Amino acid sequence: MRLSDATVVIRPRTTWEAMDLGVLMSQQHRRLLMTSWAIVTLPLFAALSVLLWDSPSLAMFIFWWLKPAYERLPLFILSKALFGETPTLKQALREWPRLLKPQLLASLTWRRFSLSRSFLLPVVQLEGLAGDARQQRLQVLLQRNAGAAQWLTVIGVHLESALWIGMMVLFYMLLPQQIETDWDWQSLVLAADHDWLWLEHLTNAFYALILVGWEPVYVACGFSLYLNRRTVLEAWDIELVFRRLRQRLNSNALGLLLVVCLLMPGMPSAWADTPATAPDAPRLLNQPLSSQASHDSIKAVLEQPPFKNRETVTRYRFGEDPANPARARKDGEAPQWLRALLGWLDGHRLDGLANVIEVLLWGAVIALTGWLVWRYRDFVQAFVNRRPRLPEPIKRPLLQQAFGLDLHRESLPNDIAGHAEQLWQTEPRAALGLLYRALLSRLLHEFDLTLGPADTENQVLARIEQLQRPELLAYSRNLTVHWQNIAYGHRVPAAHLQQELCDGWRALFSQGAAR
Amino acid sequence: MLEPTAPPRKAPLDTRHQVETPEGIDLPLRPAGLMVRALAFTIDLGLRGLILGVLFIALALLGKLGMGLGSLLIFAVSWWYMVLFEVLRQGRSPGKQWMGLRVVHDDGTPVGWSASLLRNLLRFVDLMPFGYFLGAISCLQHPTFKRLGDIAAGTLVVYGERPLSRPSLPEAEPRRAPIPLTLSEQRALLGFAERQGDLSPARVSELAALLAQPLRISAPNTVAELNGIARGLLGPT
Repeated sequence: MRLSDATVVIRPRTTWEAMDLGVLMSQQHRRLLMTSWAIVTLPLFAALSVLLWDSPSLAMFIFWWLKPAYERLPLFILSKALFGETPTLKQALREWPRLLKPQLLASLTWRRFSLSRSFLLPVVQLEGLAGDARQQRLQVLLQRNAGAAQWLTVIGVHLESALWIGMMVLFYMLLPQQIETDWDWQSLVLAADHDWLWLEHLTNAFYALILVGWEPVYVACGFSLYLNRRTVLEAWDIELVFRRLRQRLNSNALGLLLVVCLLMPGMPSAWADTPATAPDAPRLLNQPLSSQASHDSIKAVLEQPPFKNRETVTRYRFGEDPANPARARKDGEAPQWLRALLGWLDGHRLDGLANVIEVLLWGAVIALTGWLVWRYRDFVQAFVNRRPRLPEPIKRPLLQQAFGLDLHRESLPNDIAGHAEQLWQTEPRAALGLLYRALLSRLLHEFDLTLGPADTENQVLARIEQLQRPELLAYSRNLTVHWQNIAYGHRVPAAHLQQELCDGWRALFSQGAAR
Repeated sequence: MLEPTAPPRKAPLDTRHQVETPEGIDLPLRPAGLMVRALAFTIDLGLRGLILGVLFIALALLGKLGMGLGSLLIFAVSWWYMVLFEVLRQGRSPGKQWMGLRVVHDDGTPVGWSASLLRNLLRFVDLMPFGYFLGAISCLQHPTFKRLGDIAAGTLVVYGERPLSRPSLPEAEPRRAPIPLTLSEQRALLGFAERQGDLSPARVSELAALLAQPLRISAPNTVAELNGIARGLLGPT
């Protein structure tokens, strides 16, 4: 183990930060870790499921119980990768049986429920300690970070279950609707177990898949906690810097010694020579950092990202290479006939035809556009026309008769009031009838009142009310009462009333006519 | 083969995330990962449950009016608890404060209304389909441990700086270093002196022995000499 080869920055961290480093480590080797884990666990899971087909829970339980055995593989990979010797997949898998040997029984039985499992695994696997030595080591290690290691396992348990349920929910959500209708929850619980065995095995498989993703992270976090604890305990970071300092000083001393030895015999001549060559000769030749080296390193730094951002862009282009036009022409020589044809077409022989075709094509475009607009005119109207066309009012034929009375304007005399007065002496019924008929006719033609053929007198009054003409309404009421009296009750109105009705008519309609 | 052995040397892995300011200063931020954030969230969840529980008992006395107010309260607490705490308390909800976390923008500036609202509204996406499934996966895969809401809002959950206590150095006669030391070497020497209490004596002398020969110090009192240099680096106190 050489600390200077470490691929992570070694420094004492807080426990949570140490776990984060574990997550980063597992990210860096994610593919290797996940593939190796999958190759080891999934076949085992499949075998267990097949063997124990009738009791899926037992298969699941055994698979879960054996977790510490699989955890040794990711730890091996991570510990190798820490010092830059990442093993290949094949190497790692070949190594696994050997890793299982030390204290497997212990880790599968009484240490199975240790909450700091992943934190303490390196003691057995990497340090190879057993018995009392191991106990002592654990005591030292657990002095500080025990809580964090236990939290890691507790969080892991919850995360595993959350991800597991999440997978099940996801699976359920992705089911097509038709199948879902059968899947009542009670039927799942109550139905004969055999029908749903495959479903239970499927959910177990989800758990195995979840472990492929999570378990390497768990092992890596435990490992990084362990690394952090040892960094604090043994001051690895300080050792690292001290070693570098020592290396620097030693090479300096060696270099200095070398220089002194080499220059010693020829010292006087060197002193004599120096001024003569000084302006042109490179300076600082005898330092550990010569001017040439510093110049080079400055150049190298200036070539790097913050100062120069090089970018290589690859694009597809047509294959004419301007660099060697000779070859391009040689390639193009073959289709001689094509060039001849193109040359012939290039002349203006076919201009007339071209014009005709152009006109035809434009015509086709215009026709097509027109046809499209015509074809989808409703559609266009619906979206283009801002103001929707109002539905045309239904024209109802004007009413010609009501209560058996003719309402034509032509059938009425010009001076209705005068005519009624004349009639009153001989035929009061006809006089009132004339007045009422004229009123209806006026309402129909002048006030544009819509009268239904089946309206009663009171309905007509109600309609008049809507016109909001109080004097018209009062007169109409008065007239209607007398008309009803005479029409249905054969009661002739008193004489003074006759005059009043005729005057009322005159007051109302001669004024209206004047207006 | 998935990974060739010994890839060319990359920058070593670290939990520090460097943010460069326009002035060319590197701010080291320490993004917080899934585990500690999960704990902080659990604390917040418990607190919210507590608040709602207490208020519901009070509101239950009001009958139907209380029910209506209660529904409003659920809305307010579940959607605004995080936002208000984050914006008004420098990115710290009580759970985050407990765990020593805070929310900042990607460039290290304090989190604002829009970013906080966005990251908290998108919790809804993160917790699909059950119990922060997507959020947890995103958090484990992202190099700076962002969940989807953080990615969208451009925020980062980082460890806050804890107040430091003054370290005590072992007594020694201050002296000058015999050779010029770089910054990291000075720091290592100071660390050596500060952390001596946590190290075993054997380990201390082993570390000191590394420097005995190049610094030309006689073996028995290397530790004292190094402590002296550390004192000297510390300057008059």
